[in-house]
Amino acid sequence: MKEKIFEAKDVVIKFNLRGKVLTAIRGASIDLYHGETLAIVGESGSGKSVFTKSFIGMLDKNGWVESGTMKMDGVDFSQYKTEKEWLAIRGKKIAMVFQDPMTSLNPVKTVGEQIREVITWNFGTEKEEAKRQAIELLRQVGIPEPELRYRQYPHQFSGGMRQRVVIATAIACRPRILICDEPTTALDVTVQAQILELIKRLQKELDMSVIYITHDLGVVANVADRVAVIYAGQIVEHGLADEIFKDPRHPYTKALLRSLPQLGVRGHDLHSIKGSPPNLYKEIKGDAFAPRNPEAMKIDYVCEPPFFKVTDTHYAKTWLLSEQAADYRRELEQKNGEQELLPAAPVDFSSAEKLVQVKNLTVQFKLGRSRFSAVKNVTFDIHRGETLSLVGESGSGKTTIGKAILKICHSSGGDILYKGKSVIGKLPRQEMAAFRKSVQMIFQDPMASLNERAKVEYIISEGLYNFRLFKNDRERQDKVAQAMRSVGLLPEYVTRFPHEFSGGQRQRIGIARALALEPEFIVADEPISALDVSIRAQVINLLNKLKREKGFTYLFMAHDLSVVRFISDRIAVLYKGQLVELAEAEELFAHPLHPYTNALLQAAPVPDPDVERGKKVAVYNPAMHDYATDLPEWTEIRPGHFIRANRAELESYRRRLEAEA
Amino acid sequence: MDEKTVSVPENLPQELFARAEFHEEKLEDTGFSNYSYWRSTINTFFKSTTVKVVVALVLIMAAYTVIYPMVTERDPYTVSLSAREWNLPPSREHPFGTDGVGRDIWARVWFGTRTSLLLSVAVAVFEVGLGVVIGALWGFYRKLDTVMFAIYNTLTNVPSTIYLVLIAYIMKPSVVTIIIALVATGWIREARWFRSRILALREVDYNVASICLNTPTRRIIGRNVIPHLVSLIIMDAALTIPYSIGSEVFLSYIGVGLPADLCTLGNLVNQGRSAFLVYPFQMIFPTMILCFITVSFYIIGNKFADASDPKNHL
Amino acid sequence: MGRYLLSKLGQAVVTISLVMLVVFTLLRFMPTAGYFSKEQWKDMTEAEKTAYLRNMGVLDPLPLQLKNFVTNLFRGDLGRSIVLYPNSPIGGILAEKIPYSILLNMISWFISAAIGLPLGVAMARSKGGLADKLGTVYVVIIRAVPSIIIHFFIQVFFSKWLGLPMLFYIEQPISWILPTISMSIGSIAGYGVWLRRYIVDEENKDYIKFARVKGLPQKYIMWRHVFRNAIVPIAINIPSDFLLMLSGSLVIESMYSIPGTGGLLIKSIKAMDNPMVQVLVLMYGALSVLGVFLGDIVVSFVDPRIKLVDSND
Repeated sequence: MKEKIFEAKDVVIKFNLRGKVLTAIRGASIDLYHGETLAIVGESGSGKSVFTKSFIGMLDKNGWVESGTMKMDGVDFSQYKTEKEWLAIRGKKIAMVFQDPMTSLNPVKTVGEQIREVITWNFGTEKEEAKRQAIELLRQVGIPEPELRYRQYPHQFSGGMRQRVVIATAIACRPRILICDEPTTALDVTVQAQILELIKRLQKELDMSVIYITHDLGVVANVADRVAVIYAGQIVEHGLADEIFKDPRHPYTKALLRSLPQLGVRGHDLHSIKGSPPNLYKEIKGDAFAPRNPEAMKIDYVCEPPFFKVTDTHYAKTWLLSEQAADYRRELEQKNGEQELLPAAPVDFSSAEKLVQVKNLTVQFKLGRSRFSAVKNVTFDIHRGETLSLVGESGSGKTTIGKAILKICHSSGGDILYKGKSVIGKLPRQEMAAFRKSVQMIFQDPMASLNERAKVEYIISEGLYNFRLFKNDRERQDKVAQAMRSVGLLPEYVTRFPHEFSGGQRQRIGIARALALEPEFIVADEPISALDVSIRAQVINLLNKLKREKGFTYLFMAHDLSVVRFISDRIAVLYKGQLVELAEAEELFAHPLHPYTNALLQAAPVPDPDVERGKKVAVYNPAMHDYATDLPEWTEIRPGHFIRANRAELESYRRRLEAEA
Repeated sequence: MDEKTVSVPENLPQELFARAEFHEEKLEDTGFSNYSYWRSTINTFFKSTTVKVVVALVLIMAAYTVIYPMVTERDPYTVSLSAREWNLPPSREHPFGTDGVGRDIWARVWFGTRTSLLLSVAVAVFEVGLGVVIGALWGFYRKLDTVMFAIYNTLTNVPSTIYLVLIAYIMKPSVVTIIIALVATGWIREARWFRSRILALREVDYNVASICLNTPTRRIIGRNVIPHLVSLIIMDAALTIPYSIGSEVFLSYIGVGLPADLCTLGNLVNQGRSAFLVYPFQMIFPTMILCFITVSFYIIGNKFADASDPKNHL
Repeated sequence: MGRYLLSKLGQAVVTISLVMLVVFTLLRFMPTAGYFSKEQWKDMTEAEKTAYLRNMGVLDPLPLQLKNFVTNLFRGDLGRSIVLYPNSPIGGILAEKIPYSILLNMISWFISAAIGLPLGVAMARSKGGLADKLGTVYVVIIRAVPSIIIHFFIQVFFSKWLGLPMLFYIEQPISWILPTISMSIGSIAGYGVWLRRYIVDEENKDYIKFARVKGLPQKYIMWRHVFRNAIVPIAINIPSDFLLMLSGSLVIESMYSIPGTGGLLIKSIKAMDNPMVQVLVLMYGALSVLGVFLGDIVVSFVDPRIKLVDSND
């Protein structure tokens, strides 16, 4: 093993919040070795960010390191207090990249100046020389025309480019450790792949160690040499990436890996973790994960487990590894004997009624003086009972299409038919009401989709009131209770306000609100992307259950192809307002034709280190199409598989399909 | 992460290494406190001793200004013909002394406070009320933008004192004039402020959800938008009061305020000012009461603004 | 950039026209006594008065009056004062008074910036500490107590304690002290409280945290990042503050008998000198609009984003 360059030991971090002292980190330790990438994986509230921020003295003002040590080069800096002390560490020894590149750069200074000032300040370099170095750094992080870009302001850069600038700034002083705090979460999947590649390249070139914080196990599989899993302020398991992914030992790690939508089997429920991560206001006794673990042992509630050794590099903090638990382990193994789930056969909905027909839909927005088309000429049908997913990155127009179908957003051209009737333009009052009752929406952000000032009772009853769907108040209350139960919440919670619920629960309340109207068609706009990993499976299972039981039809919007694979019957890929490909889900994964579909598929990180390691990032460049004379058309290349291509491309795609068959 | 063997506590009872009961229903109770926005706002607001004292004093004073004119026999307008009654220093008989024509200043101060409070509360109600209504319309109907921005620029680019003086100059001096002048110059800022708040709230997901549920716009405004603005409305109204009272003093100084024979704090302060060098108490007492009111409402408004921000909730 | 300035200029022109229209209309409601000197008002018969007013053009239809006023304005003719300075051209009167207002306001503007900005920085840096608390008490007093009362006490007590003259004499610089103090205290509080707020806001921004992570020292971050950004919203008001000097401070000039333009407005209102009021109010309006316009220009220099973004929200 390589030389250990940093060690944090038994770190306890406390916060003073609204007069209460909370313990955010409850004795966490990590080691970092020269030249490696250590990924710290955890959900929101697990303390992963707080933990690493404490390494460079960036805790919020109400937080402090209560005990523990942080050592680098034999110096313990865990008790540094003043900004001046931290100057010795920040930038030069440890640097950090934040999550959101849009806010990490000062908007009124040129990007060049923001890099140059670090060099000038830390090394006392002459201005001209520092400028030269800054331009070199911009080139190193892959920014074209660095001399020109040096003089530009942050708002002239795209998100991915800004993150490159931030990384250039962070490595300007040749730090030995680079902490990346979810650096790609705010970026598109294809951009994320490029940034991950950049970080890996820089790590080699500069011989740095990287601490990578993320909630995304796919990203972990891509970047990590070693992985530490953090839950409720403690590291619960750590080991080499292969060990964690292939032989997880802590019940939390196991459950997390099993609940990934990417691993879902069509027609079966995802393995889901019940409940939500613990609230730090509550005192935690024993194993913090035990209350959510149906297989927890009695001792888990009594006594906090120590780390048990699995291999020289792999440790897990669970009583399951204790010698005394050998019998119980055997019992579990027998019970959980791996049974291979067989995927259900794809259902063909093409003969079912066309519930929604979108024909040549175009949506334009005014942008200053010019007009800009968010959606261009999009055509597709949704059959009753199926789930159609629209997949695209930010700016692809997927949300706009959803909103146009819902009539919350205007449409500038084309037609939308619901149950065979056009719903474009102003509808007669009655028809409008019937339409509203039948079509509902589920939102991305559970924090923004519920009115904080209303009780859950009103929120769920809102639609019932509007359509007078009850004879007396008794009946209304029954309907609310029924909706609550069908999303797995206790009916007595209806007297509470939304902020008393966790993110996953709020999302389910949002679903209950739509459910109460007994709609037929539901538009779900990225309903899981704002949720914690361990919660996502609950919501996906719920949506699938409702589909089975109530026969809902879904239009599902997502940015990540791999996540929608198992819930979708058909998938449509959007690029800059245009559909580029649409096919039955398995067909699309088996025979992706359009280069953009391919780029998306390759960019999405898969939670398997073997797959991720050999991966090459494919960059989609729309200029690759030669559409000068041979214009592209929306063509059904084989039954149910549509693609936007011109004649020449169609020809080559056909040949490819034949070769594959 | 230690390479050393981890020490395991010994002698753990073997029966603990067996399946524990699993309570799924318990998991849904995430243990969030039964927080209520309004309760927390009020609690945070009254947490500060300053606020407790100020609010208590304001309430006592407000009650006194209502009750005193009803029960007192002293007429604040009675002029004494006897020069012995003029310019008396404070005494048991006249707690704040008398003015140049023998009128009791104590009585005049409380009658004046009543007028000034009524005036400023009226201004607060009309100004903020108009601002909320127009701001809501402005926020919900994009077509109003051109007209409203023209009005906004015309009214705010020129210092409001100028318009204030002009309106007060043109119209006959009266309480209504002052209210109109103050409301006319102040409503547009309120409207703009509420417009921006409403614009921010309008696009929020839960309003989109309400549209999907076919909730009528007026109920969306009533249930989803206004409840989020109530604390802002209260704060704004509180902050309008010191400004209105100050403006009244300013207008009466310039000579376009209320009729000089009417008891208002502005008139009292300005009348006392001319005699200040000889009989300082004639100005000091009305000024003290006036400053107490303005400072109190200023503090109340600001502290309430802080308390209504959920970030500051205890 | 060019388009931005052009649109701002257009907006300023529209606003000035609207202000002129509003003020002109409002002034038609003024008592007509304001067009006569005291003797005329006493001596003239009703018929004579009507004839006199017709002669002045006051009874013409509004659009015609407006047209005449504007054409005269472009010829540099601001009309004549009637009551206050019987029959003297207003332009001449203003030319005489403006220098006083400029002088005093220049001084007090510099004082306000020189004290107010450091006050804001000090308050922000000691957030919650002693300096912040003292500063807050100062701000509360200045903003809550009606300014007339404060000015009055400054005039009375400071003149007594410091032995300074209570009135203004141009040849006696020592007598400039009290008026400039009075004029500055309000804007000191203004600069202080806003700068404090902007600095505190800035300090919570991600890019300031990132600047700390970069290993830049606190002082450098404070001046080169925090202050540099916090001053942007302050900068928009600087031209307005500066230009309003010309119009002077209404109350203070009349209090200290300063022969500037601010005192003049109050005097003309008290004397009911209609043409004078009209010109003064329009001057104030025009200056403020110009100030707002210049503020937009200044901001476009300190904030690089402005070139792309439209500022109406």
